[in-house]
Amino acid sequence: MSDSTRSTPTPVPRPTGDEPVLRTHVFDGIQEFDQRLPNWWLMTFYFAIVWFVLYWTLYYQGGFFSDDHDRVTTELKAIQDVKNKELEKMLATLDNKVLWTWSQDPVVKNEGQAIYTRICSACHAADLSAKLGGAPLPGLPLNDQEWKYGNQPMDVFRMVSKGSPDKTQAIQMPPWEAVLSPSEIAKVSAYVMSHHSPPAAPN
Amino acid sequence: MNSTAHKTTIEFDDRTVRHFVIASIIWGFVGMLVGLIAATQLSFWQTNGLKFIETITLGAVKIPADGISFLSFGRLRPLHTNAVIFAFVGNMIFAGVYYSTQRLCKCRTASDLLSKIHFWGWQLIIVAAAITLPLGFTRGKEYAELIWPINIAVALIWVVFGWNFFWTLKRRNEPSLYVALWFYIATIITVAMLYIVNHLSIPTSLLHSYPIFGGVQDGLVQWWYGHNAVAFFLTTPILGIMYYFLPKAAGRPVYSYRLSIIHFWSLVFIYIWAGPHHLLNTSLPRWLQMLGMLFSLMLWAPSWGGMLNGLLTLRGAWDKLRTDPVIKFYVAAITFYGMSTFEGPLLSIRAVNALSHYTDWTIAHVHAGTLGWNGFMAAGMFYWLIPRLWGTKLHSMAMANMHFWIGLTGILLYVASLWAAGITQGLMLGTLNSSGTLPKYEFVETLERIKPLMLARVFGGALYLVGYIIMMVNLVRTIRSGKPTVETREVYIEAKPASSTMTWGEVFRSEPLIYFTLGFILCLMWFFLPNYANFGALIGGAVVILKGVQTFKTGHHRWSAWHEKLLENALPFSVLAFIAVALGGLIQIIPTTMANRADSIHGRLQTLYTPLELVGRDLYVSEGCYNCHSQQIRMLVPDVLRYGRPGVADDYSHLGESLYDHPYQWGSKRTGPDLAREGEKRDALWHVLHMMDPRATSPGSNMPAYPWLFDQKTDIDSLPRRIAAQRSIGVPWPALSADEIKDQARAQAIGISKVLHDQGRTVEPDREIIAIIAYLKKLGTYEQAGGPVPEPLPAIDRPLLRPSLPDANRHPLSVNP
Repeated sequence: MSDSTRSTPTPVPRPTGDEPVLRTHVFDGIQEFDQRLPNWWLMTFYFAIVWFVLYWTLYYQGGFFSDDHDRVTTELKAIQDVKNKELEKMLATLDNKVLWTWSQDPVVKNEGQAIYTRICSACHAADLSAKLGGAPLPGLPLNDQEWKYGNQPMDVFRMVSKGSPDKTQAIQMPPWEAVLSPSEIAKVSAYVMSHHSPPAAPN
Repeated sequence: MNSTAHKTTIEFDDRTVRHFVIASIIWGFVGMLVGLIAATQLSFWQTNGLKFIETITLGAVKIPADGISFLSFGRLRPLHTNAVIFAFVGNMIFAGVYYSTQRLCKCRTASDLLSKIHFWGWQLIIVAAAITLPLGFTRGKEYAELIWPINIAVALIWVVFGWNFFWTLKRRNEPSLYVALWFYIATIITVAMLYIVNHLSIPTSLLHSYPIFGGVQDGLVQWWYGHNAVAFFLTTPILGIMYYFLPKAAGRPVYSYRLSIIHFWSLVFIYIWAGPHHLLNTSLPRWLQMLGMLFSLMLWAPSWGGMLNGLLTLRGAWDKLRTDPVIKFYVAAITFYGMSTFEGPLLSIRAVNALSHYTDWTIAHVHAGTLGWNGFMAAGMFYWLIPRLWGTKLHSMAMANMHFWIGLTGILLYVASLWAAGITQGLMLGTLNSSGTLPKYEFVETLERIKPLMLARVFGGALYLVGYIIMMVNLVRTIRSGKPTVETREVYIEAKPASSTMTWGEVFRSEPLIYFTLGFILCLMWFFLPNYANFGALIGGAVVILKGVQTFKTGHHRWSAWHEKLLENALPFSVLAFIAVALGGLIQIIPTTMANRADSIHGRLQTLYTPLELVGRDLYVSEGCYNCHSQQIRMLVPDVLRYGRPGVADDYSHLGESLYDHPYQWGSKRTGPDLAREGEKRDALWHVLHMMDPRATSPGSNMPAYPWLFDQKTDIDSLPRRIAAQRSIGVPWPALSADEIKDQARAQAIGISKVLHDQGRTVEPDREIIAIIAYLKKLGTYEQAGGPVPEPLPAIDRPLLRPSLPDANRHPLSVNP
């Protein structure tokens, strides 16, 4: 058997040209060529090493590329500015009267209802009763006449945006401005108020 | 011929190989079946707990009212990963190693007794794992879930394996080590190192312990281990197996010996540094992320070296691809290896990772490697080995071909659908609304969108399993048609010439090692010295490397003679391999455990848990919630916008916020949303409703329901032991007596129960759900620590040779921004 041939020390001749060198030693019938490393392979390796040095130096010594903290906080501050402007713009056009009008507008109501179903119904129930099969849900009922935090549309708008004002309560509503834009909040507030009647217009 | 040589006949121990092969085939089936069930649970939540069986059999089969707790995704997923990694691939590795090592060493395995202990010990460990994991006994760290008594058993059995292997090497009748053995050596040493360090724990009972590392340190150690479980359990031993079985099957010489040398040493040295790429864009310090990313990119070429040596060995034997199923499986496997080792570095780029991480893309990547590379290498090895071990011919070529094509279709369907799912979900989660101020999609909307793709994945996995079953039938019939063989071989036994023994001086005072050591030290100085001094180190390093290259060019005969001689000296070779794999972990882990501690934190520092919250956290870990929920808001705008608090610009997860978490729970996959700030978001009643029926509060969710949490009682009595264990590993619990601890826990539980009662829900305070709610309400709670950040010194004033973490070069003195 070829496996039992004994090994002899094998000098490694350097290949010339493309001629593959077959090493003389045999392991359990397995032989090995000693081909040169493919150039493209070597280049890939070298490039990755050079890139290491370059990137590290540019980041730490060159001050290139922003730091994560700076990048995130800068971008988020810019986003917050846009958000604040959006809200200001919205508030400039919005008051109780406008929202009461919206609450009677079927288009706005439908859009508001879609948001309500997606976001609010988990705690306030689809029928605004905050009850599911008779058992209470975490939210307060929105279809009765009891208003803990104000009975005007703008009170609802504020409540949805900022969440429960009383942070000591065991049960809290989160601030939905993290999820909904001001116009969406306005629409969903209008939808909630559509279950109530506007105060009689003063004569 | 040497006069001292004499001829003898040896008999190989192939009985052990047969045992391991059969164990691997059986456990492979079990592990993949559990994987298929877990995948089904993600598509159909009803399959959690098997309650649905009652419905589809119209009540003929009764399932306990709450469903079966141990058949929920959070418990089955660890069972799947552990079974396929350690049971299927583990036994397959042992079979390949025992078979090839004897032949490459021209001697029988050193000890039959050790082989027996190894085999039966390993199977017992697997059985123990299969019982404990579904029962919820877990350490809560991925691929390191097994509880501490089993950890000790694994370590001991691994030592038995290593002992048997190195003893065989010592008794070998073949002077030189073949490349397959290099990879086995690296595997045995490195797995022992990784496994032991990542499993260091303080027990609180026979079934429970806390890892000694916490928070960011635990995360770093976990992925140093986790990534290198892939490297040194699923890659290097399989490469060794490839180097033996592929040239055997192809009947061709290995493509390039020098490529073997270069890719072996670069692979084992570089792989170990890449772990932090699992924690990119998180609160892991930036320098570790840089190392993780850049070493991963450098890993591409060494990995492809293995692929080249595999595929190019087939030059001149490609015709066999049409006729020989073994070659077919090997070629596909090596191609998948090449693909996943290209994808790995790609996913390690921070910008790509921002999209891919926490999504199904990672799952697709892993399965291209495991189903393609591991599964097909195993199949190729079985088809080659089993006819030889039982002295017969393969029962059916047609069935093997059918296995190949069905399996390949399964992998492609699996991987393609999860690529699509991962990219779709990643893009949707990162999409902002029209004004760019808010995430456009709710989390559950992104889940709804990928549900068809998740279903396609189930089909892909099922196809793969069908192919595997065809293989099992084929192999069983093959085994039945033959009889166990006894292979003997005549070998020459000769005294080792004194000239081939290498002294330690020859090992270490050699040109390759001197240049490597000098270059490495200068590299470290470049990493850790302040600005200016590090430039000097960099230039010094470049000079050393250039000088080394020049020496190599003129004296490569010396270098290759040195390596040839090293190959005849197994102990020095193993020591060098150990040094190569140990360096990366030392450089990353030691500075991290020293620097990232509570007393060096400025800014947010986690508020300590109360006793009830701690036991709730342990329940969260035990249910495997971390398999689907992360607790880490990455430093990325979409992450902070979605999971942070409105108006807080730096509301990503800070390093100090999880410092006391043993184990850390940053997670690696978001099948559900992140929970890092869950505490402020929802209240107790919401959690009650959600845990009873996740779809009541989150329509479209695929989370299993947890009704048993409402029945089972919280284990308050073990709290004093748990807290004592936490104190011993540095969590600053106040000194409390056992009664005080229990009273505090009970009082808090009664408080939560009362809040729920006021809301019209009656939940007894002693139920597990109350403890979990206490924990969930705590998530994201922190205090401001350490006072104001000290004014940074100008870089120029720092002593030039005082080492510090690289990040200090951008943020002097403040390593924890």
